[in-house]
Amino acid sequence: MEKFSYINPARLEQVPGLLKDDWQSKVIAGGTDLLGEMKDYIESPKRLINLKSIPGLDQISADDGGLTIGAMATLTDITEHSEIQKNYTALAEAAGVVASPQIRNVGTLGGNLCQRPRCWYYRDPDTDCLKKGGNMCYALSGLNKYNAIFGGGPNYIVHPSDTAPALVALGAEVTILGAGGQRTIPLENFFILPTVANPYRENILEPNEIITQIHLPKPIANTTSFYIKLRERSSFDFALVSIAGVFQTQGKKCQDLSLILGGVAPAPWRSNEAEQVLRGQVISDDLGERAGKAAVKNADPMSDNAYKVTLTQNLVKRAAVMAVS
Amino acid sequence: MAEWGEARKSSLLGKYTQRLSGPQKVTGQAKYTFDINRPGMLYGRILRSHIPRGTLTALDLSPAQQMPGVKAAIPLIEVGKEIRYEGQEIAAVAADTKDIAADAIRAIRFDYDPLDHVVDLGESMSESSPQIRDWENNQSDRQIDEKGDLQAGWTTADAVVEATYSTEVQVHTCLESHGHVAEWDGDQLTVWASTQAVFGTRRDFARHFELPEDKVRVITEHMGGGFGSKFGPGVEGQAAAKLAKETGQPVKLMLTRKGEQNTAGNRPSMVQHVKAGATKEGKLVAYEVSGYGTSGLGGGAGFTGPYVYQVPNYRTEKFNVAINAGSGRAFRAPRHPQGAFAMDSLMDELAEKIGMDSLEFRKLNDPNEIRHAEYDRGAEEIGWNRRQKVAGSAPGIQKRGIGVGSGQWGGGGGKGTKARVNINSDGTVEAVTGTQDLGTGIRTAIAIIVADELGLQPTDITVKIGDTLPGLPSGGSGGSQTTPSVAPVVKTAAMAAKESLINHLAEKVNVVADEVVIKEGSVTIGNNQLSWKEAASTLGMETISEEGSWDENLREGGAAGAQFAEVEVDTETGQVKLIKIVAVQDCGLIINRLATESQINGGVIGGIGYALLEDRIMDGQTGRSLNSNLIDYKVAGAQEIPEIRAIAHDTDRKVTGIGEPVTIPTAGAIANAVYNAIGVRVRSLPITPDKVLTALEEA
Amino acid sequence: MQGASCVEPIDWVEVWLSNRGDPAHLHLSKDGCRIHIRYLVQEVCPTSRLVIQGGQMAEDTTRSTDQPEDRQKDLHQVNKTGLSRRNFLKGLGTGAVAATVAPATLAEADSHSATTGAEITRATVKLSINQQVYQIEVEPRTTLLTVLRDGIDTGGQRIDLTGAKEVCDRGACGGCTILVDGRSVYSCMMLAIDAEGKEITTVEGLADDNELHPVQEAFIEHDALMCGFCTPGFVVASKAILDQNPNPTREEIQAELSGNICRCGTYPFIFEAVASAAKKMK
Ligand code: FES
Ligand code: FES
Repeated sequence: MEKFSYINPARLEQVPGLLKDDWQSKVIAGGTDLLGEMKDYIESPKRLINLKSIPGLDQISADDGGLTIGAMATLTDITEHSEIQKNYTALAEAAGVVASPQIRNVGTLGGNLCQRPRCWYYRDPDTDCLKKGGNMCYALSGLNKYNAIFGGGPNYIVHPSDTAPALVALGAEVTILGAGGQRTIPLENFFILPTVANPYRENILEPNEIITQIHLPKPIANTTSFYIKLRERSSFDFALVSIAGVFQTQGKKCQDLSLILGGVAPAPWRSNEAEQVLRGQVISDDLGERAGKAAVKNADPMSDNAYKVTLTQNLVKRAAVMAVS
Repeated sequence: MAEWGEARKSSLLGKYTQRLSGPQKVTGQAKYTFDINRPGMLYGRILRSHIPRGTLTALDLSPAQQMPGVKAAIPLIEVGKEIRYEGQEIAAVAADTKDIAADAIRAIRFDYDPLDHVVDLGESMSESSPQIRDWENNQSDRQIDEKGDLQAGWTTADAVVEATYSTEVQVHTCLESHGHVAEWDGDQLTVWASTQAVFGTRRDFARHFELPEDKVRVITEHMGGGFGSKFGPGVEGQAAAKLAKETGQPVKLMLTRKGEQNTAGNRPSMVQHVKAGATKEGKLVAYEVSGYGTSGLGGGAGFTGPYVYQVPNYRTEKFNVAINAGSGRAFRAPRHPQGAFAMDSLMDELAEKIGMDSLEFRKLNDPNEIRHAEYDRGAEEIGWNRRQKVAGSAPGIQKRGIGVGSGQWGGGGGKGTKARVNINSDGTVEAVTGTQDLGTGIRTAIAIIVADELGLQPTDITVKIGDTLPGLPSGGSGGSQTTPSVAPVVKTAAMAAKESLINHLAEKVNVVADEVVIKEGSVTIGNNQLSWKEAASTLGMETISEEGSWDENLREGGAAGAQFAEVEVDTETGQVKLIKIVAVQDCGLIINRLATESQINGGVIGGIGYALLEDRIMDGQTGRSLNSNLIDYKVAGAQEIPEIRAIAHDTDRKVTGIGEPVTIPTAGAIANAVYNAIGVRVRSLPITPDKVLTALEEA
Repeated sequence: MQGASCVEPIDWVEVWLSNRGDPAHLHLSKDGCRIHIRYLVQEVCPTSRLVIQGGQMAEDTTRSTDQPEDRQKDLHQVNKTGLSRRNFLKGLGTGAVAATVAPATLAEADSHSATTGAEITRATVKLSINQQVYQIEVEPRTTLLTVLRDGIDTGGQRIDLTGAKEVCDRGACGGCTILVDGRSVYSCMMLAIDAEGKEITTVEGLADDNELHPVQEAFIEHDALMCGFCTPGFVVASKAILDQNPNPTREEIQAELSGNICRCGTYPFIFEAVASAAKKMK
């Protein structure tokens, strides 16, 4: 790790000013991702603004409008929260399968949403990849077993967060604090795909902005939600493919739904195609099968990851069938 | 000639004994090399190459040397020399803190002319590959082994299977990385080393620094795993001692995780093109293999074959292929898991082809009677009769299957250990020898043997190992040789010490030696009974100190094993879930059943990683490893562990070693179980979801 | 124009313009553009890494915009040799950049931010470890693991709590597991400065007056250790499980220990030990 200086702000409003807009300062929450990057010299911020010093950012509170989760709530807090377990099951399940208990005890929701990609070229300190300001995405011409099958180009990372697909599926909104004050937007719009002009970022945060809280709408009756994560190693691994499903059902009929895939694209990936097949229909094995097929119709696998297409197809099917059984 | 006697009657041998080092290890008091903190100690760190190949054209250590807190910086390669793999040592520094040492190596400047590299096995063998070793087409000489008449074999074969099996590069991943703490006192060098061979390491240090061996002391009180990769100082040890010499301060230099994964050894990969034939009566008649693999720039790739089973006619050919990567080293049963996985898969394929039960087919070709008994025991335990007759025929998405694998290991130990047992006048007993405990439990085994002989408890014995100072050499701990090499000498030393004490007591009270009986913590002389302590106190100013001697009769080699696996394969996700593994292992005469069962579990779990998870990934573009860390290099974690039935199969044999044999059969058993579940064979390890799904799709 | 003193001239520069920001790295703002100079600053000249200041690159921006084409040319080389041009330069100074980069000292940075809050570059922290208070001087980057294992307190005493092990140093193996306010945490991924005011328990602090904790006893009885290097981490993680859940099932034990790696393969006996410790603690 390079040297850096450390600032403990007392109040939230100080943070945008402390961050400035030169990308040289960063906020640190749990630090479980950032410190790893710093140890590998992938990030070497000049200053860290410690969010843990600000009281109250880790509150989880239910109200008439739904549930508000402070960005500094730990993943363990979320997993163990009874209201979340009951009404926002997908989130509790997703938070509960992040990394390992030790990470979940300090890792925060905000940090989980803002964590950087796991692509092994990006994480190699010596590889000058596109994501880090280099010329090329090495995964494209290299080993891309774990990379994207949707939404890739010019780089092909997958978004590593487990909570992001769950929250997007649950219709979460995110509150962002910047120099000009707060704004609240749908979480789905928070994540962005890489572009030629900006292959660097995974979300819209400006250098002086931070996430302060996540808001979840009131649960709708007859709605179930869940998160399924497929990994190579069951202990402590990132998703090969994951799925967050929110289903509003009546008997076997799916009235409305949200299906968000993880591990397949540079951002949480809504499968509009599968949703369309299932919405308003009575779910059968057969329909599940069709939804799975629809989900991968536009998949664009790379040299080593065609298996993710099969995996996605089967997982969508499994999710659909599971929702009504 | 000594004998173990009827070990089963002993209250200690073959029973469950807790590890002597347990209390220290569970409280964090056990000091490993990594934990040694000496007064005034500096932290060493190595600058490694990030390129796979190039000629070093410039190296400037001065920016590091000028940094505050940096005490020394030394080159580890000369300008003009070729860098040959990622991770190769360029320079080393010693600094006041770890963080400063890390800063310092980043300040060092070096430049190089890049040279073309190759890190892919197939590419390295191709015409267009750069020549990176003194081997024609980067391939070592063929090693050929032939027996019988292969042509005749083929003509008698009713069924022939031809297939290619491949195994990955597996990295040792010792949790305590390689490293040393080096301290000079004049021309006397003391080194705390994380090593499997204190005496071998001492010799290497002495040679490197041109010192008499008695000027070097190597200490390994506890060490955090070696698995075959830790037999000498390595570049890092030499660097630590050199930095210590230059600064006049002790230096600790432990490899970083990345350095450990990239440069501290691995199990070479293997590709085996196999063709084999059997008669319809179930006899193997012909076997032909061409196998090659990479040990990086080294030459350790190979496989054992034909493995375990008898084939009258065969031809095997093997060779090494060089790539620009860190060299392989011995790794828990070198060459065996590669051979066993291919052979066990092959046996399954042949059995199916001739329509015979796979286990029956094995028995017809396996001459080892102990293993026959193990097959029966394991089959019973796993429920072999539940195994699907037609592979993949079970309905549903999650399908279960059962498979079997076999293994064989030498591990008989040998001459060369010196050991001494002291009985002190205060009743304390010391057992001293120059072996080291890697985690196998040899420390406790020594205590058990001595205690058994002297009628004491293992906790009554102070075992002094892992130090060259007493000058009682023992060999390196490899090849499952430690226990069979050490046990006979310790046993005879204890016998001699006991005899001395008896003679002393007999002389003292003027009786014949026969009237002195030492048993269960007390000494009976005629009608008198003394406690052990009282008896020892009669030594007065004396100490009994006896050396043991090698006794061929107390040990034996050749450990047969068989393992059975039950798996559940999700045909939609390709995930392989282990349900149960039964490991039946001939352990010879068991000294400590508890540690033996631990060893069996450990071997199986290493085999699980080999079968399902582990794989060093090299990137052709950069020539670098993409997973030299513990997130992307996946070793088995808590959730990968099925029910494991570790069965130490008792035989009337003598002491043998089992560190290695237990890791051999696992991958074959798992691969065969996967096939039995889904009816599609994955011939390449590790069996990951992508491979399973692809195989299912291609079927 | 000032040059950073530690860099020396070379023949090639890696600087170019991009229209949008790169959140990861160092930039300069000028006329709405961001000039990306990450590697030079980070990799080439570590002591000048804090030197980028606005407005000093005016003369160089034109030259810099030419760089992308050069880089394109280099790309071919990248593909052929697998090496990016940057690697050739690794470790060498860069004159052109030296010309564009003005050295700024840490002191300057400090004074600049004095208005917005205390910018800590060193701190003396009080840490409560195993119910004993240690006072120790740290940099912000010093991890808690480093303090435990290698720290020297302000009185010159080594802390020497080496039970927590450094294995991966990246929060992936559990070797360094400790308890912070009762929860298991990777100490390699926690800054010491963040541990102030918290109750830290290491494996050395589990035994009471030389009486082993039931988890420790059970580990010995069940031989839940071989080389023992992972053991302190497992012992601490296991204690954390039982503190939260006095009756864990085998599956729960496995899930809760999924952040710890044992290379010797002692897991089955660890599971037994935790289950038996649970019984003992009733
Ligand atoms: S050393 Fe901290 S988790 Fe591995
Ligand atoms: S006991 Fe050796 S790593 Fe766990």
